[in-house]
Amino acid sequence: MQTAKAHWWFVGPALFLMVVILLMPIAIAGALSFTSYSLGNPGAEFVGLENYEKIFTRSTYEKMFGATFRYVFVVVPLSVGLGLGAALLINSTRRFGDLYKTIYFLPVMAALIAMAIVWEFAFHPTIGIVNSTLERGCGSFLESWSWFAHGCERGFPLWLTDRDYAIWTVAFIGVWQGFGFNMVLYLAGLTSVPRELYHAAEMDGAETAWDRFRLVTWPMLGPTTVFVVTISFIRSFQVFDTVEAFYPQGGGPSKSVYVMMFAIYEKAIQQNLMGIGAAITVVFLAFVMFLTLMQRWIVERRVHYT
Amino acid sequence: MTAISLSAIEKSFGTTSVLNGINLDIADGEFLTLVGPSGCGKSTLLRILAGLEAPSSGEVVIGGQTVNAVRPARRNLAMVFQSYALYPHLTVLQNMMTPLKLRDLSLTGRLPLLGPVFARGQYRAIVEQVRETAQILKIGHLLDRKPGQLSGGQRQRAALGRAMVRKPVAFLMDEPLSNLDAALRIHMRSELAELHRSLKTTFVYVTHDQAEALTMSDRMAVMMDGEILQLGAPHTVYNDPQDIRVAEFVGAPRINLLPGSLDNNGYARCGEIVLSRAATQGVVGSVSIGLRPEHLSLCEKGTPEALSGQVVHKENLGADIYLHVSVLNGSQRLVVRVSPHEGQGASFGQTVHVIREHGRALVFGKDGKRLDIRTAGTGNVAEVA
Ligand SMILES: Nc1ncnc2c1ncn2[C@@H]1O[C@H](COP(=O)(O)OP(=O)(O)O)[C@@H](O)[C@H]1O
Ligand SMILES: [Mg+2]
Repeated sequence: MQTAKAHWWFVGPALFLMVVILLMPIAIAGALSFTSYSLGNPGAEFVGLENYEKIFTRSTYEKMFGATFRYVFVVVPLSVGLGLGAALLINSTRRFGDLYKTIYFLPVMAALIAMAIVWEFAFHPTIGIVNSTLERGCGSFLESWSWFAHGCERGFPLWLTDRDYAIWTVAFIGVWQGFGFNMVLYLAGLTSVPRELYHAAEMDGAETAWDRFRLVTWPMLGPTTVFVVTISFIRSFQVFDTVEAFYPQGGGPSKSVYVMMFAIYEKAIQQNLMGIGAAITVVFLAFVMFLTLMQRWIVERRVHYT
Repeated sequence: MTAISLSAIEKSFGTTSVLNGINLDIADGEFLTLVGPSGCGKSTLLRILAGLEAPSSGEVVIGGQTVNAVRPARRNLAMVFQSYALYPHLTVLQNMMTPLKLRDLSLTGRLPLLGPVFARGQYRAIVEQVRETAQILKIGHLLDRKPGQLSGGQRQRAALGRAMVRKPVAFLMDEPLSNLDAALRIHMRSELAELHRSLKTTFVYVTHDQAEALTMSDRMAVMMDGEILQLGAPHTVYNDPQDIRVAEFVGAPRINLLPGSLDNNGYARCGEIVLSRAATQGVVGSVSIGLRPEHLSLCEKGTPEALSGQVVHKENLGADIYLHVSVLNGSQRLVVRVSPHEGQGASFGQTVHVIREHGRALVFGKDGKRLDIRTAGTGNVAEVA
């Protein structure tokens, strides 16, 4: 019958595009991850779980996970915390709020590749503003801090090229770049907090800003926070451009900044090892999927006050 | 004893002035209603009293102390908001505990999780107090629910409960019933009035509904355009309005106003009708004659001083029927309250005759102020009343 097939014409185009654009690439990546395919080769060998085995046993990939998780667990809390703090401060000022918003949002809009040059200058061991500023503190009370005294004696760290500092420096830049975005999300969340709740809290005896924050602001920002945290997690897992800009070769001093996205890029594009690249991609997607499911679960469980 | 006193309160937002010199003394334990049309500044006045808004000028005195510089949390007032403003993430129990926790517990006692351990005794006392209040309001079974899981009426009670758990100097209520359905609203009127009688605390109640003001209050203040037009007991305001705007606002259906004029002897007349009482001040000119629907009735054709007209609309309320009658050649409409028995016969388009109850008419001058009219000893118009 003619009419029985009509529904395919309605859902067909959308379904087709969804499969081709969204699902197929993932499926292909999944399939490739079980092979040793490289671009240009006529065929590929099926290698089973070998790629995954490498990821979870070799020390390079151990470093990859180490760098990624260090980055993520510094950037997420700090950029969320600073974003919230900045949003609360901006929300409480009457004047210049828009100016502050623009300034804090600038790093988000600026291309990181371009900003990387500025940071590279700032962190330069001899002409950089960071270390020259630190050196001025020498001789003052700051020397009672042993780390600082050590820096004065032996020279301050080479922020970007010391393997003990590189990942934290990159994470710092990640926070600098990301908190403005979270601030904007929190500002949007703050506008939807009913003003009457603050009045009710005041009438109930919430005299300090902390009481009002605990009683009204923080709970009402719950849905925003879940979203902001998830987005920050995903964005930090995806960090790539800073690493590529600072360390085009090899992922930083002794691979201490060898984050996942960079590993995928290096393996799959630079070294043309599609199989292993695809396998890292699948692991990456699994993390993101897990985070998204967590978010949905939390949202449904707790923060909806219907 | 005066519990709360507002003197010369003015408030303007930018260039728009919202309150123009409000003076109001609220007695201890009284139920005072601020009533007026939307946008007249009732909420603003209440919020100034609460301290949520600062007056542009004027003084707020609570219990003999000027509190202009005292923050809302320290004024010991409780407020019920129109939107209830319950904390949506807390259960009713926690909502009602909040004012007690914030006032009675130290900082350590308020810590999440650890607080209830440190201050166990106080917590038990607070929960006990909340349960007692919940019992009075009959929401004991709802204590574990969140506001989102409650109906409008239950939320309203929870908000009332949160205000009631401590012993405030006064309850401030901003249109607390306006989000309820009609039947519940009428039910809650009597319940709130009963609550007031049992608590014996001052209530300051804001509403735009004149029926709520008439039914619940000890005194009502009719506000319009940022001024209190009249302050008095409901029956005084209803029967003896001093301003045409008060007369129009209070009473449903609205008072009938007929255009008239005052003759040289002070008698107000409108067409055939001449009032039997004369104005004491010798004002001459056009006036408005106000007649409430319940002071009009149907009469036989040919009755002297009757107004005739066609029935243009009939509202049947069951116990009463309101007939809208087009009089004075269709230029005016009178609403007449008749009993169902009387009204049965009257149908659309029919000509009826309406007579007033003597001695009830209210006369307002051109400036809207009520004119004092008295039964004069001498007069050249025959006395009818
Ligand atoms: N924060 C504000 N800023 C500017 N105008 C306001 C503000 N609050 C109230 N108004 C104005 O004041 C007038 C009185 O408001 P309100 O007291 O809320 O009236 P209501 O009698 O309906 O409660 C209204 O015209 C309103 O637009
Ligand atoms: Mg209002």
